[in-house]
Amino acid sequence: MAEQKEQSMSNYKVPGMRTPRNRQTEKPKEGKKTLRRLVGYFADESKIVLLLFAVVFVVVIASVYAPRLQSDAIDSISQGDFGRLPAILTVMLAVYGVQSLGTFLQSRESAILSQRVVERMREDLFDCIVNLPIKYIDSHSHGDIMSRMTNDVENISNTVSQSLSSLFSGVLTVIGTVAMMLWLCPPLALLSCTTVILTLAATKFLSSAMRSFYRKRQVLLGNLNGTVEEMVGGYKTVVAYERQEAVIEEFDRTADELTKAGIFAEILGGSMGPVMNVINNVGFVIIAAFGGYFAINGVISIGIISAFIVYAKQFGRPIDEIAQIYGQIQTAIAGAERVFAVIDQPREDKSGHGDMEGAKGVITFRNVDFSYVPGQQVLHNFNLEVRAGHKIALVGATGSGKTTVVNLLMRFYDADSGEILIDGVNIKDIDCNSLRENTAIVLQDTVLFADTVRNNLKYSKEGASDEQMEQAARMSNCHDMILRLKDGYDTMLSGEGYNLSQGQRQLLSIARAFLAQPKILILDEATSSVDTRTEKRIQDAMVKLMESRTSLIIAHRLSTIQDADFIVVMDRGRMIESGNHEELLAKQGKYYELYMTQFAGNAI
Amino acid sequence: MIKYLKKYSLFFILAPLFMLGEVSMDLLQPRLMAAIVDDGVLGLSNGGVGDLSLVIYTGVRMVGLVLFGCFCGVMSGVFANLCSQNYGNDIRKDAFRKVMSFSFEQTDRFSTGSLITRVTNDITQVQNLVSQCIRGFVRTFLLFAGGILCMLTLDLSFGVVVASALPLILICVIFFIGKANPKFTVLQERLDRLNNVMQENVSGARVVKAYVKEEYEKNRFKTANDELVGTQLDVLLLFSYMTPIMNIILNVSVVAVIKIGAVQVGEGSVTPGNVMAAITYISQILNAVMRMTMIFQMVSRGVASGRRIKEVLDCEPSIAGGSFDGETTVKGKVEFRDVSFSYPGMGGDKVIDHMDLTIYPGETFGILGATGCGKSTMVNLIPRFYEVTDGQVLVDDVNVKDYTLGALRDKVAVALQKSEIFSTSIRENIAWGNPDADDERIRQAAGVAQALEFIDGKEEGLDTQVTQGGHSLSGGQKQRVAISRAILKNAEILIFDDTTSALDLKTEAKLYEALKREYAGTTKIIIAQRIASVKDADRIAVLENGHIAALGSHEELLENSEIYRDIYDSQLKR
Repeated sequence: MAEQKEQSMSNYKVPGMRTPRNRQTEKPKEGKKTLRRLVGYFADESKIVLLLFAVVFVVVIASVYAPRLQSDAIDSISQGDFGRLPAILTVMLAVYGVQSLGTFLQSRESAILSQRVVERMREDLFDCIVNLPIKYIDSHSHGDIMSRMTNDVENISNTVSQSLSSLFSGVLTVIGTVAMMLWLCPPLALLSCTTVILTLAATKFLSSAMRSFYRKRQVLLGNLNGTVEEMVGGYKTVVAYERQEAVIEEFDRTADELTKAGIFAEILGGSMGPVMNVINNVGFVIIAAFGGYFAINGVISIGIISAFIVYAKQFGRPIDEIAQIYGQIQTAIAGAERVFAVIDQPREDKSGHGDMEGAKGVITFRNVDFSYVPGQQVLHNFNLEVRAGHKIALVGATGSGKTTVVNLLMRFYDADSGEILIDGVNIKDIDCNSLRENTAIVLQDTVLFADTVRNNLKYSKEGASDEQMEQAARMSNCHDMILRLKDGYDTMLSGEGYNLSQGQRQLLSIARAFLAQPKILILDEATSSVDTRTEKRIQDAMVKLMESRTSLIIAHRLSTIQDADFIVVMDRGRMIESGNHEELLAKQGKYYELYMTQFAGNAI
Repeated sequence: MIKYLKKYSLFFILAPLFMLGEVSMDLLQPRLMAAIVDDGVLGLSNGGVGDLSLVIYTGVRMVGLVLFGCFCGVMSGVFANLCSQNYGNDIRKDAFRKVMSFSFEQTDRFSTGSLITRVTNDITQVQNLVSQCIRGFVRTFLLFAGGILCMLTLDLSFGVVVASALPLILICVIFFIGKANPKFTVLQERLDRLNNVMQENVSGARVVKAYVKEEYEKNRFKTANDELVGTQLDVLLLFSYMTPIMNIILNVSVVAVIKIGAVQVGEGSVTPGNVMAAITYISQILNAVMRMTMIFQMVSRGVASGRRIKEVLDCEPSIAGGSFDGETTVKGKVEFRDVSFSYPGMGGDKVIDHMDLTIYPGETFGILGATGCGKSTMVNLIPRFYEVTDGQVLVDDVNVKDYTLGALRDKVAVALQKSEIFSTSIRENIAWGNPDADDERIRQAAGVAQALEFIDGKEEGLDTQVTQGGHSLSGGQKQRVAISRAILKNAEILIFDDTTSALDLKTEAKLYEALKREYAGTTKIIIAQRIASVKDADRIAVLENGHIAALGSHEELLENSEIYRDIYDSQLKR
């Protein structure tokens, strides 16, 4: 059930679909349940909510009462009763004053309310995201996870800050206005309702006509932005293959279609105003004609006509608004549903209490089976014993399960069966944080943060001194390189990282791992973009650092691993050979074969 | 960028004209309303006897006028959209075309992300700006000016109210815009920062977890979140002052109009109907001023976007092709003559330093060297991705600057270090350089690149769709698709820029073997880390700090070059 929901949601985001204005209204699936939860966020701010409702109530009463005063004033003028006027005007000013003060409080409190709710919701969501199991992150599009934070929370925030009090005041205004109109002159009030019916009919007709164009435009905009992102992002390849003209042609075609759809959509959307204007004026004429008729017959005063004109306007606007807000709220609830779907994900299982502080680093894999997708087994009855202080290497073709071993050891994933032990203790019984604090890992896809070099290096060990940091940088052969950067250790690394080559980025992440001084060090293709001589120097430094500690190295390049104490050759999830370099060569098996392709090379 | 409007100047003129029609009708309406009230309902000109037929007659006339106004409004919308959207479209197409003509030095300078926003978001902003100018601004201004005019014709004394309320509103508007604008910039920055933290945590989840930094990241996020919320609240609170203050000014004006109106009615110079009309006009005028605020917001954002687009449009491609597109007798020769290169803005630090080198037709040429020694830069100069700072690069004895860019790049096929895979089928990805290639040729190229096996292993084979960024393929698979693409181009010079790093050794060996067999006449330039990748090359260059430290065959280098031996030793345990 939960799985199904996830899948249908991942279709939701089209690149570039960010403009909330033209966003399609979506229907939430479990509206009531989500709404109740959303309301829960507000319950904690009940003081503000109550205050807000009270203020809105006052504002609505004031804005319903004000036109009534205005009509009294006009009446007194037209009847030549100027003596009453100052009193009426004073009350009017007072009412306007209350209304303004109320409006101020209303927008202020709703701003505070929305920001508090959103702040908390973001924190809750992030708290979950940071504790999501790697499995979830690996199997979901990052863009999709991101859009929960950016689009959905933002949507909820906007709806809360803008729509909630508008909705409340809209409903109150409609009720108040209708009541007032009915009280003043029931027949005229009923006539005014024709305006409302016309407004609703026109809105319904125009918006359903618009919807198909807006939808088309949205899809085309998504395509267009997708094209731009891909072609500008992959610009080197576009140029290398001289495909600029073809790409431009495709872009122009989409752009033209988009423009056509956009023109239709906007013309229809733009007609809404003038059409409403006609309806309002027709309403006015109706009121004036019948009001005039009533006035001539002495049923009502002229002041009441003026009040009705204001009421009719006051009446049409909230109805129009409520229709729009309804759509917004639906979208917001659908967004909230997606946010809660992430929040409800089970957190990473970090159970276990054992401490690894005193560990020596003996790693044991015992009869481990593992599959990412049920039915497609990646590790088969895998056994491995690494002695403390040893350097062990895993080799094998892509997909042979090397990285999986690391994923299991770090508890990014849990084994299906069998057990993994460190110093004889099952890692499930070790405190997961302690396990990870004592195990450093360097991945092929380097992750560096948009921060200074210094902070990136010290990420692995808060409170490390600058000497320790520079020492680690020297060991990983990047100290000189860092000094050559514009601001040395204080150089900001950009997110895209185009100011560093892939090899240089790898060196930095190695330095980061070195600085952690871990009990176990894992390098997963960590030097694939580093030239072999630099790599050699790093390895020499590593020998010193990892003396009496355990390291695990994964590489394609045999040169990276041939110094290892123990080499494991993997093939399709099974260990097929093991031993040190000399032993394996002597065996003349798979390792020997690999070795010969590398060094005898294409000569074979 | 105004010149783009020229083509649509008819629409640009028609839209405000129709708008004038619409607004005139809007402005006439309170006057008719006054007539209905004064003469129809109150019968002021008729000795106090109402005239219902006049009410209906005027009412029908009014509805007619309003319908005409509606027609004008819709037409003005039609023309405004025809103008602004076509205008936006022209700029969009031109901007994209311009980006597609940039050199890499220029795309590096703008940065990919910024170019994408410029071509997408910024253009939408400018388009909105134009349509707002034609419709919103014109409408608001006409309502404003017309309102004042109509009000003054009712009675000059109402002018006093306008004259005193207007400056107040203006001061308010200017004050709030001045306060809010810098906050919007801050708001955008904070939002970017929050998204950045989020992005880093999603894509870098493994590192965060591996170093047990969940709490640290939570604090980092909390800081970013608090800052964002603080700024957002600031902006919202600022606006919470604005609306009520504007309302107070408006309402006090209404009271003043009634008060003045009362005096005038007492003197008999205006009628009660006129007072009602005056109330309508003054709300119209002051509303127009408030709406102007919003339009100014949009204008200031649009102008900022316009500036960013203009930077793109005004940027002349820094690498222009020459005129030579003729045949050369030599095919596949590359020559570097005293070439130096430094990246702009890197303080003149030479990445390539006075390099001389000739690569002969049909030769397999290997390039080795340390991280950051200039290997990629060197081959980027051959298809003129970057321009030499000094010296000359010649292809087939002709300076690369003399070729038309098309002719030059037809001669060179590059498989890049970062394999760029597009979200289409594998077939189209491979045939990217030759859209007309048939399946047989595609399969042949994929076969040489050792990609056929994994492609055929997929259910839909060549038709398998690749997700954006190629995430559905493994690193090695992406590289092989990129290699197939380069091979299919069948160029004179084939360059692999460390494109086999994710292939296992056996596959790589098979690839080179097939390449040697089937593309013997092609000049092959191979950048690699592994000696095995280049060992069988005719010659190997070892690059160090931007110059060639050693050059020769594997055997020669083993004998003569200490660096090469060093590299060799680092890879081979004897």
